[in-house]
Amino acid sequence: MNMKILQNWALHAYADGELDGAERNDMEQLIAASPEARQELAAIRRQKEAVKGSFSGVADEVVPAKLLAAARRPLSRRWGWAPNLAAALALLIIGGAGGWLASARVNSVAMASLPERAFSAYEVYAVEVRHPVEVPASEQDHLQAWLSKRVGAPFKVPDLADKGYTLLGGRLLADGAKPAGLLVYEDAAKKRLTIFVAGNAAGNEIPFEIERRGKLVTCFWRDKDLVYAFVGENSADDMKQLAQAAHDRFEG
Amino acid sequence: MAFQDEIIALIPQLRRFARGLCGDRALADDLVQDCIERALIKSHLYDPARPLKAWLYTVLRNGFISGVRHDKRSTVVKSIDDLGVGEGASLPEQEQGLSVKQLRDALDLLPVQQREVIVMVALEELSYREISDMTGVPVGTVMSRLSRGREALRGILERRGQPYLRRVK
Repeated sequence: MNMKILQNWALHAYADGELDGAERNDMEQLIAASPEARQELAAIRRQKEAVKGSFSGVADEVVPAKLLAAARRPLSRRWGWAPNLAAALALLIIGGAGGWLASARVNSVAMASLPERAFSAYEVYAVEVRHPVEVPASEQDHLQAWLSKRVGAPFKVPDLADKGYTLLGGRLLADGAKPAGLLVYEDAAKKRLTIFVAGNAAGNEIPFEIERRGKLVTCFWRDKDLVYAFVGENSADDMKQLAQAAHDRFEG
Repeated sequence: MAFQDEIIALIPQLRRFARGLCGDRALADDLVQDCIERALIKSHLYDPARPLKAWLYTVLRNGFISGVRHDKRSTVVKSIDDLGVGEGASLPEQEQGLSVKQLRDALDLLPVQQREVIVMVALEELSYREISDMTGVPVGTVMSRLSRGREALRGILERRGQPYLRRVK
């Protein structure tokens, strides 16, 4: 291993305690044999200490009152079901009985539950061997901008490579009369995973929930602006983990 | 301990992390406040099996990154060449070591992706894996951002006539 490579990452990983076993032993031997590596290592450690030292006092400062107040504010009640109920009541009141029935018919697709819509999208598209997506992963930036625009709120196409899933790409879907997005991923065994994303008209936030249809499992949730549903042939725990990882990355 | 009390106990660390990310005291405290408010609104999304600290750091960091994206001024990465060569190097006390201000100023010049990784490792002692989970980029990318960032930081300090970090005793 030459010094260039050492400088680039391995020495940093060693200084940060990220190497173990054989890698660590190899690095220790290299360091013992190379004065240059020892100098570099010392410089990395000094810089790390200096960075730490420049901010170490912050944690001892008196916490500003506004931050304590923010943390102590009473938790507002969340009306998970209220917007749906309000919407249903509004339809009844506005339309009268006849109008209500007509509305119900027109909205029947959009009113299918989120898991049902997500399962259907998986069943139609994830089985496509040659054309699972409209926009390939190579145009990820475009895909992200386009779908964000169409579903009406920005989101980030999550990178799930560390969970074993590679992005194939995505497509636009008709979700009732509204646009929705579908992201398609694949693991090494060609097993597909889809993420259904659509606008959250109700605006209600709900936490992760799990539903099953045959072999398929979905983990879905609602954020303020968007609803998400993961679908795949995985265990509920695996789906929840994937959803959790992606959840933190959607906002990015 | 109630959720809110757990958050309160972590505020000092959140403030340090925020200061490391954005430097400015008032902005950093705004970030922490935003993080606390979001955490309380989204408390139903918190998985108690994960450490609260890691979750709060993620919320804080997401707030920081989206702020950077919306605020054009801070997306303009200041050029290292904007600095006068050897600027301030004549002050004798600098021979004694690196001042806190010098180092913070130098960090301000780094691209956000490099700065945040340096801070997460040095200040918050997060592992590469934890940083990868938090930022959504592979561990290899974390490593390359870190080594490039540290090299750049060293370069900035040397240009400012501060040999301390390189000098071998």
